Amino acid sequence: MRSALAALAAVASALEAGAAHAQGRAVPAREATVDELVIAVQGGSRGAFTGLYERFHRVVHAVVLARVPAGDAGDVVQEVFAEAWQRVSTLREPAAFPGWIVTLARHRAVDHARRRRPPVDDPADLAVSPPPTSEAVAALRAIRALPETYRETLLMRLVEGLTGPEIAARTGMTPKSVRVHLHRGMKLLRKRLEAGPAPTRGERGAR
Amino acid sequence: MNDDADYLWDRSGDDPELARLERALAGFAHDAPLREPWRRRRRGLVVSALVVAAAAAVVLALALGRDRPRAELARGPDAAPAGALACAGGDGFPFQVRGGLARCDGGAAPDGARGVLRVGAWLETEPGATADLQVADIGAIRLRAASRLRLVASGPDQHRLELARGRLSAQVTAPPRLFVIDTPVGAAVDLGCAYDLSVDDAGRTHLRVTAGAVSLEGRGHAAWVPWGYEVDAEPGRGPGTPRRSDAPERLRAAVLAFDAAAGEGAAAGAALSVILDDAGAADAPLLWNLLPRTAGGDRAAVFARLDELTLRPEWVLDEAVLAAEPVALERWRQSLEGERNVGAWDAP
Repeated sequence: MRSALAALAAVASALEAGAAHAQGRAVPAREATVDELVIAVQGGSRGAFTGLYERFHRVVHAVVLARVPAGDAGDVVQEVFAEAWQRVSTLREPAAFPGWIVTLARHRAVDHARRRRPPVDDPADLAVSPPPTSEAVAALRAIRALPETYRETLLMRLVEGLTGPEIAARTGMTPKSVRVHLHRGMKLLRKRLEAGPAPTRGERGAR
Repeated sequence: MNDDADYLWDRSGDDPELARLERALAGFAHDAPLREPWRRRRRGLVVSALVVAAAAAVVLALALGRDRPRAELARGPDAAPAGALACAGGDGFPFQVRGGLARCDGGAAPDGARGVLRVGAWLETEPGATADLQVADIGAIRLRAASRLRLVASGPDQHRLELARGRLSAQVTAPPRLFVIDTPVGAAVDLGCAYDLSVDDAGRTHLRVTAGAVSLEGRGHAAWVPWGYEVDAEPGRGPGTPRRSDAPERLRAAVLAFDAAAGEGAAAGAALSVILDDAGAADAPLLWNLLPRTAGGDRAAVFARLDELTLRPEWVLDEAVLAAEPVALERWRQSLEGERNVGAWDAP
């Protein structure tokens, strides 16, 4: 109970500091930790949950986009957070939240992908606003064609704009692993982009 | 030029080609605000209320429709005493008997009879008879012939039954752990699935999962049994190690031998060697279940084989698996489940 109250106080303080910052007041802000946010959410704090969303929605989107057409990915992200809101009280270790939310995202994305055909050359990739360039669509499909190990990390870096250290902090992976994934994945991606677009399903079927 | 600069890692330095790729892909980035799930939940509650109202209407209709069978039951040759008609009303799981005679709470229920299995009541089928039960609004059970089933509890947090003898098939769509069936040697905890469960006269339990997954739990052990897998649980020993339902005979026998030796001694060692030699990617759940059931060098060997056959999440560390840390094992299990569900392991 004490830790929940402490977390709520920390979150309230962080939110207040954020509000003050937005109003132009100089308040020494300490960003609430993920643990504190999770404990506060488990105590019913909606503000803390919004804080978790702001910190993790890009990671979740990258995990989903690795498996789901771009036009559907946003809805799946919201489903993941709706499920997280309902189930976060069952999370015993607040520090496990990054791995937990990524796993939830992976499951929901897999469920969605199972209901649809594979997204490799799905026209729903074009259903975003503004419509992506052909280069962007080709690059996204090339990333999706990489081994699974590299897909999510590259999407977090190249699409969501997170840096390596941010990816490590938000996924629970070690910085060393993230670095290795980024560099190996990027090397493969460059090769594939230089080799030109992979054949679409229709083209493969015609051979 | 800074030699430590690494644009890919932290945007330090300069990489025009990569920056161009970033700009091209930035259109796919996610920047939508949170759709507040607590509002969504309220909508969910409205829907739930409508569902509850609809269910109430169905129950009312069933109650009205029950009048005729109840009258027939009272007039029939096996007519039960007035007290036995308890299964004709009240709260519980509605059922219908087919193909023969059943007994509910001691009262006879002939072919075609409908009733309600209330908390605490037993439903028993004679040879040749089956009974179909509706499990609240989450699924259905077919109780096979010569079986004995009791409703232990039913509420928003859990629906719990006890299969004392015989066989049933269950099909449930519900959040994990909401639906549980106890047997003399353990508890089959639903993780969202369809399965067959049987109990013989000695209490031996056999579970075969055809969709989703079940956790068979007892005596401090839990066996994760995903679709396409089956497991036995023996009195005094708890759940064994799940194996593929279509496992080759040599592998199946090795798993049973490992369980019979309780995972210890030379016999278990020999059985484990066969398992490690014969296991393919489709046997990943078997290997995962062996991790907490082995120790030392045996666990290291199981870990090495599982790691070879599957893609372990980066954040599941070697030392955590070798120490059988529950959080690490659970994360790997969830990853295995996800991979399995997209068909990555269809081929042995």
